[in-house]
Amino acid sequence: MGRLRQEKETAILSQQLLVNIAEELKMPLIRIARANELSMINDDTSGQQVIKASTESALKLIDNYILGIRLALEDKTFNIESVSVSSVLYDAAVDLSSLAKLYNVDLELNIAGKFGPVIANRQALHAALVSLGTSLIEAIPAHDKVQTKLQLATHRSRYGVVAGMYAETKQLSSTSLQMGRRLYKSSRQPLVNVSYGSGAGVFVADSILHSIGLKLIASRHHNLYGIGAVLHPLNQMQLV
Amino acid sequence: MDILIIEPDKVLSDIYLKTLKCEGYNARIARSAQSALDAADHIKPDLVILELQLVEHSGIEFLYEFRSYAEWSNVPILIYTSVPPTEFSDSWQILKNEIKISKYLCKTDTDLKRLLGEIKGLIGRPSEKAHR
Repeated sequence: MGRLRQEKETAILSQQLLVNIAEELKMPLIRIARANELSMINDDTSGQQVIKASTESALKLIDNYILGIRLALEDKTFNIESVSVSSVLYDAAVDLSSLAKLYNVDLELNIAGKFGPVIANRQALHAALVSLGTSLIEAIPAHDKVQTKLQLATHRSRYGVVAGMYAETKQLSSTSLQMGRRLYKSSRQPLVNVSYGSGAGVFVADSILHSIGLKLIASRHHNLYGIGAVLHPLNQMQLV
Repeated sequence: MDILIIEPDKVLSDIYLKTLKCEGYNARIARSAQSALDAADHIKPDLVILELQLVEHSGIEFLYEFRSYAEWSNVPILIYTSVPPTEFSDSWQILKNEIKISKYLCKTDTDLKRLLGEIKGLIGRPSEKAHR
């Protein structure tokens, strides 16, 4: 138990993760500053949308990081509960919609499969998915694809039920994720094949899930590539 | 006057595009090193504005590739990046003399007004004809 707790703390309390978050926060702040200047130069009203969505994404990153810290540090055990994956994905899609609109990314919600409830902490799972989604929404247009779609979906894999974000971007692979985990303590751009930033959102999601005993993995869904949380079905509830 | 902007962030690249067009420059966006080389082939840029942190191939890799073509060996390159210049303190001479960087600006302390000033300093103002 002591070792598990130490591992949790190491992941979220790492100074390098804090550095990555600081680097990641530069991006929305630079966008806000430049959008504000542009609106003064040519009365461009689209700057207001940039400022609103960028502010929201920066605040969410901070909130999610703080949640990760609390989950790791609080003495009491986190509440595990019966969680509907579909409703968490729906809420995450709502939270990500303004940023997706700003980045011209089509968000698709694919919750067609019949999945019963899973064992998780709803707030933490939601925070992890929003954190992951924010990073991917900003990263995907940089891949020069004609279509920029991000699908929020659940599917069954050999690990269990996976809830995550999927796109046509092949670079969303386990190689990229593993390399990122190895490099995030030493590199300014650990997910170099995925993101031009520090990828802090992905690592915050990773840490939050780790704190509640879950795992972030790369997986394929239909013909899409993505990253998602492995969840454990609540079998007792499925019998009801 | 044609400017090639290599910026992976969609929102920032849109802002630069609008700013430069407003000033009368022709500008084109590329989000990756490969698409930047393709774009350079088409527009024959008078200036390249480059963010160093790109997906897959870095801005530095782009610079070496770009400079390897004789036709682009003298095109001014303005680095406009979130990477602080202190990270290149050991290799500054290489950037300046070998890759021939014209200017290194950090996004955190360079606003659009200063960016425009630097662009005008490097390639001049667009002609009235282009402005119309």
